[in-house]
Amino acid sequence: MNAGAASESSADALPDYLPARMLNEFVYCPRLFYYEWVEGVFAQNRETVEGGLRHAKLDAKHDDLPTSDELQASGEAIHSRSITLSSDAYGLIAKMDLVEAEGGLVTPVDYKRGTPRVADGKLVAWDTDRTQLAVQALVLRDNGYQCDEGVIYYVTTKQRARVAIDETLVSQTLDALRQARETAESGRIPPPLVDSPKCPRCSLVGICLPDETQACSTLDSSEQLSQRTLFDIDLPHRAVAYARVDSDSEVRRLLPARDDLRPLYLNTQGLRVGKSGNVLKVQEKDKTIQEVRIGEICQLSLFGNIQLSTQALQALCENEVPIAYFSMGGWFYGTTSGLGVKNIYLRREQFRLADVPGFCLRLARALVAGKIRNQRTMLQRNHVEPPDSALKMMKCMQEEAEWTDSIDSLLGIEGNAARIYFQHFAGMIKVDGEDGSPTTNGPSPFNFDFVNRNRNRRPPRDPVNALLSLAYSVLAKDLTIVCHSVGFDPFLGFYHQPRFGRAALALDLLEPFRPLIADSAVLSAINTRMITTRDFVQVGPSVSLKPEGRKSFFRAYEQRMDTLVTHPIFGYRVNYRRMLEIQARLLARVLTGELGTYPVFTTR
Amino acid sequence: MRNTFLVCYDIRDDKRLRRVYKTMRDFGDHLQYSIFECQFTPIDLAKCRHTLAELIKHNEDQVLFVDLGPTAGRGERVITALGQPYTSMDAPCYVV
Ligand code: SF4
Repeated sequence: MNAGAASESSADALPDYLPARMLNEFVYCPRLFYYEWVEGVFAQNRETVEGGLRHAKLDAKHDDLPTSDELQASGEAIHSRSITLSSDAYGLIAKMDLVEAEGGLVTPVDYKRGTPRVADGKLVAWDTDRTQLAVQALVLRDNGYQCDEGVIYYVTTKQRARVAIDETLVSQTLDALRQARETAESGRIPPPLVDSPKCPRCSLVGICLPDETQACSTLDSSEQLSQRTLFDIDLPHRAVAYARVDSDSEVRRLLPARDDLRPLYLNTQGLRVGKSGNVLKVQEKDKTIQEVRIGEICQLSLFGNIQLSTQALQALCENEVPIAYFSMGGWFYGTTSGLGVKNIYLRREQFRLADVPGFCLRLARALVAGKIRNQRTMLQRNHVEPPDSALKMMKCMQEEAEWTDSIDSLLGIEGNAARIYFQHFAGMIKVDGEDGSPTTNGPSPFNFDFVNRNRNRRPPRDPVNALLSLAYSVLAKDLTIVCHSVGFDPFLGFYHQPRFGRAALALDLLEPFRPLIADSAVLSAINTRMITTRDFVQVGPSVSLKPEGRKSFFRAYEQRMDTLVTHPIFGYRVNYRRMLEIQARLLARVLTGELGTYPVFTTR
Repeated sequence: MRNTFLVCYDIRDDKRLRRVYKTMRDFGDHLQYSIFECQFTPIDLAKCRHTLAELIKHNEDQVLFVDLGPTAGRGERVITALGQPYTSMDAPCYVV
């Protein structure tokens, strides 16, 4: 299948009538229009919420508009609120806040937050608002009314700006309408605006990533051609030509550095979670031990036997708070979420490209090389005495990974690099097994001695391995959630092959972050003594964390997640949680053909 | 980002008072009688103001919003207590 076929079917799926509001968005930014109209993506910011709340009030009153003939006959002045009319001639539908009518003449009035422009001492409506009125006028005219003028009422300043519906405005509007339809039908998302003051106020800025996309596309515009010819495969054709920006132009950080929501972990066995209002009530034996507002959490992780009421579950789904389930021992079972991202186009590209071996290999090489590089950086930064030979070998392996020609040999290189890295992992642990602090229940049978050990998983046989396993499990959960929220299917990967119950794409994305987030959280939990050897128990051959130790580990992990890091390409600082999302969105751009290469995250 | 707000209210009717109290529990922590401490994003603030505006009687009641500045890194700088201790939530996650 090619992109041409894809675009036809995407246009087919669009409703017949274009809402006036959408044309308004098109005039504001064609890309915003494409996101909302074609891909069905919405996001809220203060502007949209305030607008929505105000309109909810207007919409509550719902009037009928008498027909044009009735109006003329009665001759009375009439105010009709919340009128929806459509026009078959133009394929438009308009919802009007208010229509004032007198005799045969009608005037649509639209309520807007904000302030009008002042030009030559007169109040002037913004272009987007003028377009919206023009659409309303066109729809009214097509329904037999006479409409020569519209009004925008700016709520903030309580001022009215009149807009004459003249020939020029009408033809501009029809022009915009034609362009909007063509854009939707092309199946190609328009490029982001360049350095536009509109972006900081746009509710989709965190999804669109305008400056980041620009920065990446200038980055790979030179490579792009050679890669396309090097891999003569059916890569996405949708890549758009970008206006070249200066490579030293600054990437604005338009989204906040950290999310203002917090994860909630429930780890005490036997808890029950109910809901009252928008508050989760966490109860232990009929006693409420914690209340958490749903609006303040971004995810809920449940470990072991914890009961969640249906009411709570529904409210969490409705608020798009994903729920992750783990066994008592930390094995990640899966997630529950709301309806998910409606955008099916990304998933379609994902499935298509997962069958293109050249694409999989190219991405896998970048991911593995990035991971090895980050492991090496970890040793350099944290090892008591970074071993020269290991660093050199890892450097070689990183380069080897960049050029190897099969996924199998890539797996081998990754394994070898991991072996060297874990051989020296102990050098990053800077406490003794017996941490010297007084203990009430005698010396612990454990130590954090990792020398001569290696990764052992099922079951983990020493404290360090137990911590690493838990960390990877929790990080896999976070990336599974990120995949869902971006619109991927987490189970179909490009490097990790599909296997039942394995979130392969989440694991792909996770590789470069393994050392930086998971290993680092483990090291800081041990080195800062948030966790000591007395936090572990031996059960048969396996070693696991006691409940209190596990809680401490979640705090260490979340502290790491909340650490600000500099993005190597964009130069700004965001926390790791935000970074995971940005990286997943950039991968989505590669799949839809907007970007040529995936910029793997590495730190210096 | 979130700013910390004190929301204080004076409601002249018991029924409305109960409703305001119940509404406010969705938005923040009950700090003292008729005072909530809230960590608002601009969206939360808009929603809270809108919800309360629908609830109160505008010629009798009053709600005050006191902005204490950005929540992040605020620590115990802005609010200090005498008597019962005041603790602020500054952890990166909730763990129960
Ligand atoms: S962020 Fe800017 S480029 Fe992206 S959709 Fe919004 S206005 Fe358009």
